[in-house]
Amino acid sequence: MSKQPPETNKPEQDKGKNIEVWEDLVNIKDLLLSMVICSALALGGYLIAPNEPPRPLIYGLVGVVIGFIISSIIIKPKRTLRFEDEES
Amino acid sequence: MEITLIFEMIAASVFGAVLYTIIGIAPGTDETAVLAPVTLVLVLTGMEPIVILAFFISSIVAKKLADSIPVAIAGIPGGVLSAPMVDHAMVLKKHGLPDVSIRKMASGSVIGTLISVPLSLILANLIAPLGDAIADYSSQIFFAGAIFLALMTKNRWLALISIFPFALLIQGLRHLYWGVGAVEEDVTVFTSFFLGITIGPIILRLFELLNNEIRGSLPRRNTNDIVIKRQKPVKGFPNPFKILDKKEIRTSSLGSVLGVFTFFMSPAGMTIFLGETLSSRIKDPIKKASRAISSMDGVTNAAYIAGTLIPLIAIGVPVSPTALGPGIALFNAPPVFTEDRNLHHLLSMGDFIVATIIGAAIAISLTYFVAIKYTQQIVTFVFRYIPHEALLGVFFGLVLMLSYMDAGLINIAGVLLIGLVAGLLHRWGVNYGVQFMVLYAAPWIVSQLVL
Repeated sequence: MSKQPPETNKPEQDKGKNIEVWEDLVNIKDLLLSMVICSALALGGYLIAPNEPPRPLIYGLVGVVIGFIISSIIIKPKRTLRFEDEES
Repeated sequence: MEITLIFEMIAASVFGAVLYTIIGIAPGTDETAVLAPVTLVLVLTGMEPIVILAFFISSIVAKKLADSIPVAIAGIPGGVLSAPMVDHAMVLKKHGLPDVSIRKMASGSVIGTLISVPLSLILANLIAPLGDAIADYSSQIFFAGAIFLALMTKNRWLALISIFPFALLIQGLRHLYWGVGAVEEDVTVFTSFFLGITIGPIILRLFELLNNEIRGSLPRRNTNDIVIKRQKPVKGFPNPFKILDKKEIRTSSLGSVLGVFTFFMSPAGMTIFLGETLSSRIKDPIKKASRAISSMDGVTNAAYIAGTLIPLIAIGVPVSPTALGPGIALFNAPPVFTEDRNLHHLLSMGDFIVATIIGAAIAISLTYFVAIKYTQQIVTFVFRYIPHEALLGVFFGLVLMLSYMDAGLINIAGVLLIGLVAGLLHRWGVNYGVQFMVLYAAPWIVSQLVL
């Protein structure tokens, strides 16, 4: 690994930071962050809930939803929108 | 029926319609992957069966209406079933008619729904007398279904052979869990396995991101550039029968009827086949495209509703790709629903009719209205503020939690293993249909392999 000169890698890396997963672009670090947040809140909610069904499931779900909201706030979508006018 | 129950059905339908309008617009959200987990979770929370059904019908109608919106305005499919419409929608977009395209598609959807609801109920009643016989041989039918669907795929030998090792993987894990005492001997882990299959392609890709060589070779871009055409505002409440011309109404209706009768076939396959056939003789590119997309949307909606309702009402065993995919939790979601106690056994014909009509009516009136009037605003909102990472995170979190719930820590590894294999098979062309059929038939297949 150390033999590889960094110059050969660089131009490729610069082409873009984001990778396509499931038909849209994601940043690996952001994806990891979102997965950690959602999983931690889901499992966390499930585990701290009182042990009588369906409480654990509901706590877990609330965790997932909170995770989704937090992720949506801290992560920026990798899309750019451009509007075209009607007549063109 | 109690008023509170009807109120609950309406609330659940509104929730489904709103949720799947938003999810439907997000790019590339696979129908099974987004519908199955949420439905499952609602089932497991112990909601009334009839309320679940209303939610599910509303959700599929809304999802199918909404996923054609990004196709029309940006050429990005909102789901697997809207992918075949991209080419035709692009023709209309090129001619500056993306708004026409949405209206035609959404109207085709409405026709598909209006036709498939009563027709599915009638067809289900005709098939019902055979229901018990079909249910008795369900394992064999699933096995035959797996073979049939495997033969329909491009790499049929690969698909055919992979049925057996995949069955072994599923059944092998169950025996392992029984052996090490992760679950009781009478518990068959099912839910998390099917979720593992559903998000298999994503799990595979996530694993690949951990491999330096593969990660380096993946195409990279900085942004997903999306161009949206501005639309003219629409006045008044849209009427699908005025938006479509007579011929379009005729082919959408015909497509919908055929979609209902072929409920046991792959909806994606039928959509492509019928959509192309019904528009093949038209020369004018604009007319051809709008005929194709309106008919295709009719077929997909009809195939989805029929594929859910007919097996539910008539048999109680999921024998269609839709029932096995998005609708699977309505048939089997232990401990709430099992093969012997699911919506088929719990609901009367009247219940089915009421729930379906409430679900469909709410989704149409909300999503159709919104799709035609506020397309631009919603798409802008979703594309601008909902990061793709958050959606993937949610599905991953759900799978993790449900895996733990099914069989503890060991099952998180088990589900990742299933996801990895399922994702690889999926990429090779062994579609969800084959895999779900195998999941169902695995105990029987494995018992036949022991000599």
